[in-house]
Amino acid sequence: MSRAYPLPSNLSKETVTNTASLLRIIALALISGAAIASRLFAVINFESVIHEFDPWFNFRASKVLAAKGFYEFWNWFDPTAWYPLGRVVGGTVYPGLMATSGVIYNLLHALNLPVDVRNVCVLLAPGFSALTAWATYMFTKEMKDESAGLLAAAFIGIVPGYISRSVAGSYDNEAIAIFLLMFTFYCWIKALKQGSAMFGTVAAVFYFYMVAAWGGYVFITNMIPLHALVLMLMGRFSSRLYVAYSSWYAIGTLASMQVPFVGFQPVTTSEHMAALGVFGLLQIVAFSQLVRSHISSQQFKALLYFAVIGTGILGATAFIVLTYKGWIAPWTGRFYSLWDTGYAKKYIPIIASVSEHQPTAWPSFFMDLQFLVFVFPAGVALCFRQLRDEHLFVIIYAVMSSYFAGVMVRLMLTLTPVVCVASAVALSTLLDTYIDPREPEASNEKKSESETAPPSTNGTSTPEVAPAPVPTSTKKGKKATIAAAAQPEPTPASVIEEVAAAISPLPIAPKKSSSPQTKSRGIWGLDPRLTVIFNTLAMLSFFVFHCTWVTANAYSSPSIVLASANQDGSQHIIDDFREAYYWLRQNTPETSVIMSWWDYGYQIAGMADRPTLVDNNTWNNTHIATVGKAMASSEEAAYPILRKHDVDYVLVIFGGLIGYSGDDINKFLWMVRIAQGVWPEEIQEPNYFTQHGEYRVDAQASPAMKNSLMYKMSYYRYPELFGGDDGSDRVRQQKIPKGAVTLDILDEAFTSENWIVRIYEVRKEDNLGRDHKSANAFAQGKKRKRSKPQVRRRAIAVG
Amino acid sequence: MLLLLPLLALPLAVLSASSPLQQLINLAAEGNGVVKLDAKTYDLVTTPKRNWSLAVQLTAKDPRRRCIPCKEFDPAWEAVAAAWATVPKEHRDNHFFATLDFDDGYTVFQKLGLASAPVVYVYPPTEGPRVSASGNTSPVKYDFSIGFDPGPLAEFVSKHTPIPVPYKEPIDWGRYITIATVALSLLLVLRHLSPLLQSRWTWAIGTILTSLVMTSGFMFTRIRNSPYTGGNGNWVAAGFQNQFGQEVHVVSFMYGLLAAAFLMLILVIPKQASPTRQRIQVYLWSAVIVIVYSILVSLFRVKNRGQ
Repeated sequence: MSRAYPLPSNLSKETVTNTASLLRIIALALISGAAIASRLFAVINFESVIHEFDPWFNFRASKVLAAKGFYEFWNWFDPTAWYPLGRVVGGTVYPGLMATSGVIYNLLHALNLPVDVRNVCVLLAPGFSALTAWATYMFTKEMKDESAGLLAAAFIGIVPGYISRSVAGSYDNEAIAIFLLMFTFYCWIKALKQGSAMFGTVAAVFYFYMVAAWGGYVFITNMIPLHALVLMLMGRFSSRLYVAYSSWYAIGTLASMQVPFVGFQPVTTSEHMAALGVFGLLQIVAFSQLVRSHISSQQFKALLYFAVIGTGILGATAFIVLTYKGWIAPWTGRFYSLWDTGYAKKYIPIIASVSEHQPTAWPSFFMDLQFLVFVFPAGVALCFRQLRDEHLFVIIYAVMSSYFAGVMVRLMLTLTPVVCVASAVALSTLLDTYIDPREPEASNEKKSESETAPPSTNGTSTPEVAPAPVPTSTKKGKKATIAAAAQPEPTPASVIEEVAAAISPLPIAPKKSSSPQTKSRGIWGLDPRLTVIFNTLAMLSFFVFHCTWVTANAYSSPSIVLASANQDGSQHIIDDFREAYYWLRQNTPETSVIMSWWDYGYQIAGMADRPTLVDNNTWNNTHIATVGKAMASSEEAAYPILRKHDVDYVLVIFGGLIGYSGDDINKFLWMVRIAQGVWPEEIQEPNYFTQHGEYRVDAQASPAMKNSLMYKMSYYRYPELFGGDDGSDRVRQQKIPKGAVTLDILDEAFTSENWIVRIYEVRKEDNLGRDHKSANAFAQGKKRKRSKPQVRRRAIAVG
Repeated sequence: MLLLLPLLALPLAVLSASSPLQQLINLAAEGNGVVKLDAKTYDLVTTPKRNWSLAVQLTAKDPRRRCIPCKEFDPAWEAVAAAWATVPKEHRDNHFFATLDFDDGYTVFQKLGLASAPVVYVYPPTEGPRVSASGNTSPVKYDFSIGFDPGPLAEFVSKHTPIPVPYKEPIDWGRYITIATVALSLLLVLRHLSPLLQSRWTWAIGTILTSLVMTSGFMFTRIRNSPYTGGNGNWVAAGFQNQFGQEVHVVSFMYGLLAAAFLMLILVIPKQASPTRQRIQVYLWSAVIVIVYSILVSLFRVKNRGQ
């Protein structure tokens, strides 16, 4: 037998095994370290703060939980949100995230480590990313082997698609949800492989944790039934599947109903019906098998035929009737818009308005996944080669999630794990093939390479190891043979085949590990090996550079603190948001109500601690539309709305001075659209465009635009900055005519350093009973009367 | 022209004698539900004292105006107006559909300050029981961003009519027949197709093509209705969050080629019987990976120019 390169032959089997497992542990530890470290850019470049919008609410809730305990948190009614409605927080929140950090906080304090709850929250996401890497390792190990597992763990640890939602400070549900997703899937695969009720229960427990943590649990709720259904259609029903699915579904569903926000949804909404339907189907199939073992085959066939058809029709009718009767809620809009992609824009603009609900263009995929995006189809193809039950899971997962990720940027997060798993399978098979020192002529010693090839990471395997593989892979090999033996088992497969003979009974036997053709497979010589390995390593290291660069530059901005570069290249921090929120906190009464667009609701509540009209929990569309209407209307129309809602301050975000493009004028059309959805007669989107259909803010802007409260608040006194010239808006690259904007019902209260946040105080009713316009004109007219009488006349005439 | 003038003036003279509402009813009856307006009648029907509502399409159908959207939109308008003509008379005479062509009344376009067509305005009534609760009497503009389909138009107009416009999408028989034929023929050849359907590699190809196309931004172009190219041979859309239809093809092809190269290295090359050919193939596919990957990265640089 010939080898491409020499290997030490004086190593004992134990040495190799022990070294391999030690190296695995070290590698996993290093991967965890890398996963945590690369998420700390945000803390190092900025500071240890909570990022963005939703995390501020989670942080606020965690503070309540840490300070007052779980019971208080559970019954927390927040009167300051959605003023004057308030919000029942305990019943409208996924408490998993807060509960997790609450447990960690209390644990640390029990150990006399006085860690601030903020630091627990900031560092929760990086910590859980290490756990995700481990869960992915376990999952991939089930798909191929340990070496693929390590590669997958390394990928998920640093891939930007996952980092984007889990940098330090991004304290959101997704931070822990991806770990739970992967671990639930791992337990499901394990339960399915072994037919183990214990792993099924563990899967159910983690499913419960997932339900408590993230609305995306519906993905699991539909993935597992889909997998089970495909297995049944392929004639792969087995008692293992029955045990795994039944234990997962029964315990998982009952557990998930304990979360108040979910409640009875698992039995009343369409999203959960697939799981229930597959559960029912599984019972029918299992029952028919039982009957089959007791009666003769002729009777059985007739019975089975009518039973299955009858139950199917009965179930379908029941579902339709219940849906019509309203017992089963139809698909929710958010879910429905995934299938009918035009639906959200037409009927629920509030969903379409969120930037993370936009469809994904290819550069985003490439940025988030880099070379994994094209290696992963190869990995999926390799799954088809063996096509064990667990490989089917990866295949279904890949198809579903690549569609979802294409429809919504946000769902890139669910695609990322399967991309990492599949490409790890592909790359590790590639490395196995090309690192393996054996050359093809030696046919006797060799078994299948894919089964017994040593993990690429240890690199110390000897040919002696190959015939009698290391214990771990023996165990695995045994499992594989068990799985293989279970497949041809005639009873389960044939039942489904009889039922669904016409559809697709796939009698698929797993590839025999010792087929004759594999003997002649392999690579000759050293240079092809080196070429491929060097090429792969180069791609891997380029991937690392890419990930680091993307993480450092694109995904680590806290978005409440902005960074810009000074002329000498040093970093300049723009801290307008916190400046303004702290101004509110320190200069206004605690009861004063702040109106702003819903994006800033959580931040105001979290940082300024003041009541808000609307916030990022967009549960009440009408309330949001009210705010949109106030922003889009003229002063006269807006004033009654402001007064009726007790608004004391109005806050707008304006980026025109420093070129911050995510400001309210750019979001303004969504406010108009959402308001139009509720008051189509009063607010109409076309009125905010010029005659030529352009969205302008300069002298040619449409009258509705110029008179809107949002426009006035954004550009009030803005041209004064330019010393008598027209003001120039750096975001929209347009000139703001001077002296055009007047405000009567509001007083400018605060404008931050770079004008990003502007706060206005709402005037109370005039003491003399005049309307604000004439009162203002009177006040100004008096002043101007002495010098320029004509101006005054014009001012009144214009008004 | 001289001959035609009196002919045109005659019906106008007759019409001006009766009340504006009666004139409208007559005109609508003449035009199969659509009142054809000119500058004069436009002022008449949009008189500030009106107890009827009016949906008016301002368009330019003359080929010389080269208004392609006008032509695209016109059938939808006619369909909705025809649907309205079928409602009972007591409702029909409270709402009218009218069309004003640019060549018949450019003064109206000037007056309204319109520089583009088509435009649809709905004039709510100013008198009578149907005045809106908010007291709004100014015309409402139809938002064409939804598209030129008759369905949304009927929905929009229905908000201002006494009863909803009974517009129904015409049943697309052609489509149903096609689907039925395809389904039937599939059923017939199922026996021959079943080995294909049962082959795992059929499913593998389907799966891989789906994920390739989806990760190349296919859904983006579907949802945003991106054009196939930008014109002038420019097929790369500017901007990171934007792309053209052709980019889907190019990018998914490159992804597919790279994935195929990896599969060749993993699956096919180890099976080669001759060392020389194997070596050549290893170098060939490695080169393919290096080159295509470089092209892909430089394309990404083009898209992501800012950074």
